[in-house]
Amino acid sequence: MAGLTSLPTRLRRLKRSCAQRAPALIGIGLFCLAWQLIGSYRLAGLTWPPLSVVIGYLVDPDHHRLLTRAASTTLRAVALGYLIGAGIGLFLALAVRLFRPARAGIDTFVALIHVTPAIALAPVFMILMHRDAIPVAICALAVTYLIYVAATSGLDGAKRHHIDLFAVMGARPWQRFWLLERPTALPAIASGLKLAIPVAFMGTIVGEWFGAARGLGLLMVSGMQNFQIPMLWAAVLLTTLTSLVLYALMGLVERAVERRFA
Amino acid sequence: MPDIPQTECREAIALRAAGKAFALDDGGSVVALDGIDISIREGEFVAILGPSGCGKSTVLRLVAGLETATSGTVHIEGRAPAELAAHHRLGVAFQDHALLPWLSVSDNVALPFRVARKPVARDTIARLIALVGLSGFENARPSQLSGGMRQRASIARALALDPDVLLLDEPFGALDAVTRRHMNIELQRIWSARTLTTVLVTHSVEEALFLADRIIVMTGRPGRVLRDVAVPFARPRTPEALRTAQFHAMVDDLTRALEPQG
Ligand SMILES: Nc1ncnc2c1ncn2[C@@H]1O[C@H](COP(=O)(O)OP(=O)(O)OP(=O)(O)O)[C@@H](O)[C@H]1O
Ligand SMILES: [Mg+2]
Repeated sequence: MAGLTSLPTRLRRLKRSCAQRAPALIGIGLFCLAWQLIGSYRLAGLTWPPLSVVIGYLVDPDHHRLLTRAASTTLRAVALGYLIGAGIGLFLALAVRLFRPARAGIDTFVALIHVTPAIALAPVFMILMHRDAIPVAICALAVTYLIYVAATSGLDGAKRHHIDLFAVMGARPWQRFWLLERPTALPAIASGLKLAIPVAFMGTIVGEWFGAARGLGLLMVSGMQNFQIPMLWAAVLLTTLTSLVLYALMGLVERAVERRFA
Repeated sequence: MPDIPQTECREAIALRAAGKAFALDDGGSVVALDGIDISIREGEFVAILGPSGCGKSTVLRLVAGLETATSGTVHIEGRAPAELAAHHRLGVAFQDHALLPWLSVSDNVALPFRVARKPVARDTIARLIALVGLSGFENARPSQLSGGMRQRASIARALALDPDVLLLDEPFGALDAVTRRHMNIELQRIWSARTLTTVLVTHSVEEALFLADRIIVMTGRPGRVLRDVAVPFARPRTPEALRTAQFHAMVDDLTRALEPQG
């Protein structure tokens, strides 16, 4: 029915959503201003450049080759780790749903991996795999946990009266899964996929610190070691912005799924 | 079950000394039903009246196979209730409609077809939706309907597969008097067209007298059968039958039976 809303209604909604977002926009504005002022007046020392310097570094055509190469490497690792992690998480959630005795064991296993800090696992990864694969691996690991938790709790979320309904209709277990539990779980899975975006970036960047040949994480480390402060901050800003945009996009997906299935 | 020649005497539903105790979290238990004996013939329409919390829904849940009796037995056609459900021959309208929020009204009504893996009979669904007065709302989602409309949709769903046993738990609770009367008259038409063993839980004495062949009055804590009254009015019953002196006398009698003993 959303397609039928009239133009005035849409404009009114747009106005309302702008009004709702005003505090957030003001907040972002103040943040940028504070960054700029602290940098300009050297309030936090030499390692805090004004925002304008960082943006200047980002838009300078001389740096574009370096930045796009780093960003595309990182994004590729994020995408790969995210997909692998989401795939494994969903697969494990399905597996414990279809084979319940495995539930307790896999729950513990996944929780164990989660409580082990990625930093502590990194040395193990370094001796196990090629260093370019480490960002993907750490990213996938973190995403797996989040999606597994979201999907298992979503699949458990069917309401008592709906379960009763499927019982009196004489539904087989797989029908109950497909027609009830799967649609019930979708909003939780969509939320998990949204929350997994920043987690995927974090995992990838941390992974890149362990000797990746390229990537935004590497720019951060080398910027720090060689005192290339604007480059360090530019890499941080670029990572944050990309993560934010993807997070917002997944938020839209989440809202659409929420509307459709809840 | 022994073969009994007269089909109209065949017993469809039998509760023998059926009791149900629920275990509570604190280790105690609550006796919802205490040795209930109810026998319902094939094609008979039985209404259950009783104060809130006396165990009416529990009786229906036992018959639907959603609960198992802690003492005594419950049989449908001499077999376990779950067998009827497994053969998709049971229709249930729950106290809380239990519509799937992500499906339209017509898809909700079509759900039993999908579960029974039968081709979806679009004309049957359209007819049932018209019967419960929801024509024009085929594509609406449950969230867009009023409480009474949701209840009516769930009645249409319960009738979708033309079940042999129909269980209705206060299906008209949220309807106004006029719609309720209209539904009663419409549904009486279905029941006159075919043999359909029905158990209706209701709080309305008039509704029970208008629709049922027999009325069972229950008392609470623990639930027991207090009265078992045959309804003498000939069928088809017209709204005029509701105005006779005999009807009013029975309403008074049953209403008094429902009042708490003092
Ligand atoms: N799952 C349960 N766990 C514990 N107690 C229960 C459970 N289900 C029902 N009971 C208890 O059993 C008794 C009967 O409940 P039931 O739902 O059958 O009543 P009812 O006659 O349908 O009431 P109402 O008219 O309000 O729907 C109540 O005292 C209730 O507290
Ligand atoms: Mg009840």
